[in-house]
Amino acid sequence: MKDSSTTADKKIKKSSKLGSRNNLVAYSFILPNFIGFAIFTLVPMIFSLVLSFAKWKGTGKIEFVWLDNFTRLFRDEAFIRALFNTVIYTLFTVPGTMVAALALAMLLNSKIKARNLFRTVYFFPYVASLVAVATVWRFMFSPQVGPINMLLSQIMAEGSTMPAWTSAPGPAMFLVVFFSVWKNMGYYMVIYLAGLQNVNTELYESAALDGANDWQRFKHVTIPQISPTTFFVLMMLVISSFKAYDIFLNLFAGGDNQLSSSTRVIVYQIYNTAFRGLDYGYASAMSIILFLIVLIVTLVQFKGEKKYGSGQ
Amino acid sequence: MVGKKQGTLPFKILMYIILITLLVVTLVPFAWMISASLKANKDVFNFPMEWIPSQPRWQNYSEIWTRIPLMTFLLNTFKLSVIVTFLQVLTSSFAAYAFAKLRFKGHHALFLAYIATIAVPWQAYMVPQFIMMSKMGLNNTHLAIICLQAFSAFGVFMMRQFYMSIPTDLCEAARIDGLSEYGIWLRIMLPNSKPAIATLVIFTFVNTWNDFLGPMIYLTKTELKTIQIGLRMFTTQYTSDFALIMAASVVALIPVLIFFLSLQKQFVQGVASTGIKG
Amino acid sequence: MKKALSLLLALMLILSLAACGGSDETTGTTAATEGNTTEAEAETTAAPESSDETEAEAEPVTLKWALWDLDQTAYYKAIMDAYKTVAPNVTIEPTDLGSADYMNMLQTQLAGGSDFDVVTIKDVPGYANLVAQDQLEPLNAFIAEAGIDTAQYGGTTDQVTVEGELYQLPFRSDFWVVLYNKDIFDSQGVDYPDNDMTLEEYDEIARKLVNGEGNEKVYGAHYHTWRSAVQLFSILDGKHTVVDGTYSWMAPYYEMILKQQDDGIVMDYATAVSTSSHYRDLFYNSNIAMMNMGTWQIGSQIMAVADGTTDVANWGVVKYPHPDGIEAGTTLGTITGVSVSKNAPNKEAALDFIGWLSGPEGAKVVAGTGTIPAIHTAAVMDSITSLDGFPEDQNSKDALQTAKVYLEMPIHPQAGEIEVVLNEEHTEIMTGAKSIEDGLAAMERRVAEIIG
Repeated sequence: MKDSSTTADKKIKKSSKLGSRNNLVAYSFILPNFIGFAIFTLVPMIFSLVLSFAKWKGTGKIEFVWLDNFTRLFRDEAFIRALFNTVIYTLFTVPGTMVAALALAMLLNSKIKARNLFRTVYFFPYVASLVAVATVWRFMFSPQVGPINMLLSQIMAEGSTMPAWTSAPGPAMFLVVFFSVWKNMGYYMVIYLAGLQNVNTELYESAALDGANDWQRFKHVTIPQISPTTFFVLMMLVISSFKAYDIFLNLFAGGDNQLSSSTRVIVYQIYNTAFRGLDYGYASAMSIILFLIVLIVTLVQFKGEKKYGSGQ
Repeated sequence: MVGKKQGTLPFKILMYIILITLLVVTLVPFAWMISASLKANKDVFNFPMEWIPSQPRWQNYSEIWTRIPLMTFLLNTFKLSVIVTFLQVLTSSFAAYAFAKLRFKGHHALFLAYIATIAVPWQAYMVPQFIMMSKMGLNNTHLAIICLQAFSAFGVFMMRQFYMSIPTDLCEAARIDGLSEYGIWLRIMLPNSKPAIATLVIFTFVNTWNDFLGPMIYLTKTELKTIQIGLRMFTTQYTSDFALIMAASVVALIPVLIFFLSLQKQFVQGVASTGIKG
Repeated sequence: MKKALSLLLALMLILSLAACGGSDETTGTTAATEGNTTEAEAETTAAPESSDETEAEAEPVTLKWALWDLDQTAYYKAIMDAYKTVAPNVTIEPTDLGSADYMNMLQTQLAGGSDFDVVTIKDVPGYANLVAQDQLEPLNAFIAEAGIDTAQYGGTTDQVTVEGELYQLPFRSDFWVVLYNKDIFDSQGVDYPDNDMTLEEYDEIARKLVNGEGNEKVYGAHYHTWRSAVQLFSILDGKHTVVDGTYSWMAPYYEMILKQQDDGIVMDYATAVSTSSHYRDLFYNSNIAMMNMGTWQIGSQIMAVADGTTDVANWGVVKYPHPDGIEAGTTLGTITGVSVSKNAPNKEAALDFIGWLSGPEGAKVVAGTGTIPAIHTAAVMDSITSLDGFPEDQNSKDALQTAKVYLEMPIHPQAGEIEVVLNEEHTEIMTGAKSIEDGLAAMERRVAEIIG
């Protein structure tokens, strides 16, 4: 990591002298993706950014209200609750998934029997359609008739109340975190597995010669070597946790696709505000807040990546 | 492989216990799915539940093909997934090379813009996007889904992260040998990023396969619809046929698993195994 | 390995090329159909000028109709077949937008400038939104011209009139009744309910019927997870509506149902949510003695008995329970309507179609499939109660006569937003996350903010 980044810096200095020709080459690499990205994603996204300063019903006139949408956000108890739930969910899901994924990747990167079988099975939940597996989980954790609570009632003292997994704030949060770790760990495991292939084996050998034990080698060789992968996994997990919606809807939605305050998340608020409330501007303002939060987290992680990369 | 020394016997046993426990936890919901797919719908949520149905309803598996045009949906989904995956991998790895190994004006700003957009939830801009796409005449075409999915910033970000860990010296050496940047991408980066490509392929494929809201909005003609919409067709206004949903979900799972298995080996064949050292 | 990878890449390339060709074709055909519609449009706009009817009949028109559950619903095909004989020149092309998020999907499609002529209206909040977005054609002029008497809809259309203008005509009008399992009543030695049941009587009966454990568990009654199943008992006295901004009057009804829940008389809300929309199967499996539900369940019940899905063939239906002092037969209802899109390419033909569908002829077709149409005349109701498989007893036949029907949600400019709050707070109360008072207070506070 150290070698590659410092030489990259040198290389960068050298090539910047070559000027615009190099720029053109670089742009030519980016262009095919950028064209599609700009037209189909960036343009509508910027439009929605503009909307956050306006009132719009989805059709007709756009009426600018400037910061009204944002000031309203701070008074909106439903939004604040949703933001709170989203943050809590993120705080538990991100480390949970990361640790599980890295541990699995490490285990399955060593020479063990039936490695492929394990890898495939752990990947199962990620592939399965959400509507089907969420239905299964909902039932398994069903307060009265679910197998989980039936099991618990055998273990726990007579007369103790069973957790209401699908509705009470604490248990529900536990359930959704557990579910999303289960659903996604296989995928991040695969990313880590791919990342682990780039670890320079010579470094392990020299570390072993220096008398480093397993943990020390993991800490001083593996972790720094896979830091770009970790950065990526962390970013993706943070972003996808902040954007979580489908999981909540499929696990908890009651009558008419509504969530209760303990399981409401930001994107749910955005969707409901735009479609049921016909307040596209306000919904856009919510997504700007989401965007800013993720942007700040990204910048912090960027700094961390640089520091970590060069500090080795 | 990674030069991890094989642990002692107790450690090994512990490892297997963990792995197998996790295996069971992972598989239980799937066992339930299969069990439910062989029941009559009214018995799906019976309690205490019957893991092995006394009278398995195999006809559920034939009924799903006639109740909805499942074959058409599977073919549509497969077609979309393959095209989107191909375009995504190609354009992402191309762009990622520039972000990881080339220096140019606006490098940081552009990259940040890419990442930042991943953070905006699609629900926030899907209506303006839909209006725009409709004006372009893309409503009710598979092209709409392809355009939406094939150029995501996510792929660029992911490939860039993997390219970062490929030693720059390799590119440098190739440049001295007179390879153009395109040549370096083709001869050095691509062969060395097989695990990353395989990961992106799987990710894109699965995501397109399981995408629901996109096809839901853009594909309203039955002959264009995809499998995830098909699954929802067993849910009607007043009730859901969970037995059939489970049966169709099991069927939908199979192609993706085959796809995963065929790519398995690629995940672990990277720089290390091709013998190139940093 | 390299070979395999390059093979895969090659395969993808070929497939994608083939697909591009494919999508080009699709675009081609879309363009072609667009061409047709513009032609058709030109023809229809020309039509009113020539008063010669025979000429107008000869012109082929294709009406695009947005709906949900096309293949799973009995009446769509019957309607289209019947209309073919009425207007042979009209071809109806249905588009199924799915039931789950139908109104939102419709809203999106219309915003994208879709060319639907006729759109089905599933609920009032979604309808209010479409009216606010100016997507629906006002119908007053057409109603006057065609001589439609809206009184035949039993006052339901008044509840969806926006500032004096009506934008939909109902073709289905379901109302809530109680379906009960006679075998359970017999085995518990309880008399069947009758058509004049107060809420206290209903609660009393439900408590007598509970028995069994596990798979054999029988609940006295059942409330599905919709807020309407609980909240709407409280509007039957006609003193309040769910959009008037105060909600404390709902408290006694929440108390009654939460008590039933605590006493194990009904399945608790959280379990009902976690097993999804399972009410139907609970009734089919004899786990519920009385189910308060919409009349749509009548057709389904008849069908389920016929095809062997359930062995609960011995069932009956009675009028909805009501608060003391309110006329029996007072109930809540929900209408399914049809509207014409403002951008409809074939507006005239679309208006004719919805006029026919919501009228007596359409009602006959709808009733013929076991679905309750919007017009509740004696003849129409007879055609339902005389269906094969409908309970034989007189009480069941009389149960379909209503006194006053209140819509689950009356029209309000912010109906969508209010609906969200009512649903969310309903969930809070039912799961015990909030006390009844707190939940209702939160409802009032949040709705006040919306209404302003």
